[in-house]
Amino acid sequence: MASEFNATEKPDENPVLWVARPMATAARQFAKSLFRPSTIIYPYERLEDPRFRTKVGVGSGMPIGVGPVWDNYRGVHALNIATCISCNLCAFSCPDLCIQMVTVPGGDPKHPKKCPEIDYGKCSYCGFCSDACPEGCLTMTTRYELSTTKRSEMVYSPAKLNEVFRTKLPMNPIRIELPKNEDSILLDPPLCIGCNACARDCPTQCITMLDIPKPEAKPGEKVAKRIWKEPVVNDSDCVRCGTCISVCPKECLFWGGSK
Amino acid sequence: MSDMWINMGPQHPMTHGLWNLRVRIDGELILDVDPEVGYLHRGIEKISEDRHYNEVITLMDRCCYVAGLAWEHLYILSAEQALHITPPERSDYLRTMCDEFQRLASHIMWYAAFVQDLGLMSPFLYGMRDRDLVLDLLQDYTGARMTYEYMRVGGVRNDVPPGFTDRARKVLDWLGDRLHEYDQLCLGSAIFRKRCDGLGVLKANDCVAHGVTGPMLRAAGVKRDLRKDRPYAAYDRVEFDVALADGADVTARYLVRMEEMRQSIRILRQVLDWLDHHPGPAVAERLPRWLGAPYAPIGNEGYLLKRSYPKGVGFSSVEEPHGEAQAYVVNEGGEHPYRVKFRSPVFANVSAARQYLIGYHVADIPPIMGSVDICVGEVDR
Amino acid sequence: MTTTTLYSVSYDLSRALLGAVGSVLPPGARDALTSSNAVTALAVLVFCVILLAASMLNTIVLIWWERKLLGRFMDRRGAMHVGYAGLLQNFADGLKLFRKTTVSPREADGLGFYFGPTAYMVSSLVIFGILPISSGWNAGALPLSLLLALTIFSFAPLFIFVSAWSSNNKYSLMGGLRSAAQMIAYEVPLLLAVVAVVIVSGSFDLTTIVYDQRNYWFWGPLFLALVVFVAAMLAEMERIPFDLPEAEAELVEGWNTEYGGMLFAFFMLADYLRALVGSILVVLLFLGGWTLPSWVPAGLTSFPLAGIVWFMVKTYAVFGLFVWIRASLPRVRTDQLLRVGWNRMIPLALLSVFLAAALVTVRCVPVLGCVPSVGA
Repeated sequence: MASEFNATEKPDENPVLWVARPMATAARQFAKSLFRPSTIIYPYERLEDPRFRTKVGVGSGMPIGVGPVWDNYRGVHALNIATCISCNLCAFSCPDLCIQMVTVPGGDPKHPKKCPEIDYGKCSYCGFCSDACPEGCLTMTTRYELSTTKRSEMVYSPAKLNEVFRTKLPMNPIRIELPKNEDSILLDPPLCIGCNACARDCPTQCITMLDIPKPEAKPGEKVAKRIWKEPVVNDSDCVRCGTCISVCPKECLFWGGSK
Repeated sequence: MSDMWINMGPQHPMTHGLWNLRVRIDGELILDVDPEVGYLHRGIEKISEDRHYNEVITLMDRCCYVAGLAWEHLYILSAEQALHITPPERSDYLRTMCDEFQRLASHIMWYAAFVQDLGLMSPFLYGMRDRDLVLDLLQDYTGARMTYEYMRVGGVRNDVPPGFTDRARKVLDWLGDRLHEYDQLCLGSAIFRKRCDGLGVLKANDCVAHGVTGPMLRAAGVKRDLRKDRPYAAYDRVEFDVALADGADVTARYLVRMEEMRQSIRILRQVLDWLDHHPGPAVAERLPRWLGAPYAPIGNEGYLLKRSYPKGVGFSSVEEPHGEAQAYVVNEGGEHPYRVKFRSPVFANVSAARQYLIGYHVADIPPIMGSVDICVGEVDR
Repeated sequence: MTTTTLYSVSYDLSRALLGAVGSVLPPGARDALTSSNAVTALAVLVFCVILLAASMLNTIVLIWWERKLLGRFMDRRGAMHVGYAGLLQNFADGLKLFRKTTVSPREADGLGFYFGPTAYMVSSLVIFGILPISSGWNAGALPLSLLLALTIFSFAPLFIFVSAWSSNNKYSLMGGLRSAAQMIAYEVPLLLAVVAVVIVSGSFDLTTIVYDQRNYWFWGPLFLALVVFVAAMLAEMERIPFDLPEAEAELVEGWNTEYGGMLFAFFMLADYLRALVGSILVVLLFLGGWTLPSWVPAGLTSFPLAGIVWFMVKTYAVFGLFVWIRASLPRVRTDQLLRVGWNRMIPLALLSVFLAAALVTVRCVPVLGCVPSVGA
């Protein structure tokens, strides 16, 4: 073994040294921490406060927690309601199902604006929601204090998340490098009834309903009763939220395009 | 006093988690033991079948709460094999770095808990203090201190931030000095040696018979380390030695773990140097797009199955801080794994308790079980 | 030797108090109030209250002292929140324990369950009535005060075993058995180490023993006895590395597993009372009590209450040594502890007794000077 102490050396050989050695080590640590203990007094001194970062020197005074160490922390979310497009992706990607889309003022009556409401009693701070957010309006901040006396206060409404955003806490600067889901929305034309539900609910308004020619009635067959329109998706605007798929009454939209 | 059964657990200071060790004692002598696990069973394997491949990672962190990244790595390796994806070289090194930082954190945590079982309070806090440095580094690039959610199928979530490698080297220098201090307090202490020498002996053939792996096996003199024997990630490209001891007792396990920490520091220095000089992507370039964000399956089940993807199975084994962990992932198409199965090293190590506990004293149970390094999260899954 | 004792002070105090109250009363009541019986009764009461308050206060400050020292040993600060540097933290803790419900197990033996902690506490308190604190302020000047203090000190295993047995808990029982075995094993070297001191001093009176250390403190010539005494005292106080009876790793909390609330506080306080007694005994027997060596400048010893101040400083320093040991050594095992106690400690203690006898025979040590004549 590379260890300084040989395991075959027996402690009976020099009993005084074998007791004095650990005691001397403890005394050395005592002398060090007498002037500079490695702890801070938490509620009064905070690690995220730059003044105290350098105080957390371990013994020899080597500062830790310097630089952007703290800023990458995944804490409470910040939501910018103004840029939220109600795409539902954060709620979809949440593995804990702690995000619910709730109506916030600002949308028109036909298209109510929905923003995420997060239950921090369930949240695991995995950051999947902020990774998924196509507009970058849901991010994670360094705030970590959540204790309340009521369980209901653990549920952060969009307005409360927006307040977190306004405090301008450092946001997690690390952005994911993984590619976004770039499947396309495809249509199964025979099933479509041209109902406009997908275009109506699309958060980015990237679906337009185009007229299609009404087929001639063949003898002995009836022409299907439907609106002769079909959705066309503008792929560059689409954020792949899947809202159109979930509202389609005939299940004629589906994912496709990538392998 | 005739012999009696006592329950050490599920709520007991010795257990370090939620499990029960039933002990039949005569005075202070142990006549029989019966480890009972299962109090922390959360059905992670079954839940995984209902999760997107990337969402399973959040469960892996909860598998072992002191070695989350090692378990993420384990799962990711077999998931990538099942999905026929090859990660880029830089992510191999990043994952190696994760593994070794996690090994450092886990072993320091083991040290802290182990010495506290012996009644040593101050090394416990030294250990927790030094582990916090490692956790600070992990937080620096993963964004969390315990549940990292860092690895992704096909790579890792993000590259290390600028200046990280220099900070990491500083911490490694610091930790190298601290390991000497740990030895002063434990290996150089007469009472520690009197307590631990010749305690909890589990010989090599018993280890093999019970499937005991990891530091316990190496402490019995068996040179078995998956990082050498079946290299994964970048372990075939770094230099290190396998820690070995031949006492097969608690002191030998202490020696092995301490040496492993030194080797981890050695590996980390090489990896950090490599990362400094070889920039590149941290995720695979030819990654199926549906494995990108958002990770959750979109739409209802019916639509998912329309996506065809080559089927496959993946098997991986990883030298986790506690021993050899193994994972088996079956991909039957679709966005969920069809079946996920894990092999926990600690489960086997605990199951052999009868071999290494009977015949010792009640007061020996905490150091012996401490030297096994139990993480109930992965035993019960 | 005529010294002011704590009792004589409280006697004077109560006589003055009763005289003042009696002077405004009719003669019959005045006579009854100022009779020697009434004064004695009040004096005992005042004596007890002063003693209780002083020892409790010291104990609580001692706990604070240990917490702060341990904190620095462990690279942290210890209690910081309540009061300046956490000085009032233990009062807050005590208040919390006082407010808690006392829960006893259903199958527990009620009488023993409550008798154990109370008696443990009381027996630890009584010792403070015996220990001298300073030349002007020793509590009770008894000719056999050392013997009496050690006798009461060794009652503890009995009470511990009673409370452990009546808790009806396997861990408590094991802790109680360990406690009894350990304390009995370490009584012997403890007393033998004391015998060494008594041989040199020739007296069982603690005040005389301190007085006999005026030439040199006993820790130098009787170093072996000091080591044995400190080690045995650690075992008697049940502190790490000898805290097996309450080894929390395997026995949860040992013999006080089932105790909560104020009963637990009794055990806790009594443990620290005993730690205080142990530290005081070390100071009295080996470190010269309240005296300082003659080469110390007179200014340091002439201010009022200097004796008590130096006595407390020494006591807390000795307790600091116990804390240092606790911070750096692991716990030993029962069989090892007993083997060390019977096989190592007793021979060492006997050796120290022989050394003390040799010292008394030789009478003069080259560097240190001469032993005072026996019985001086």
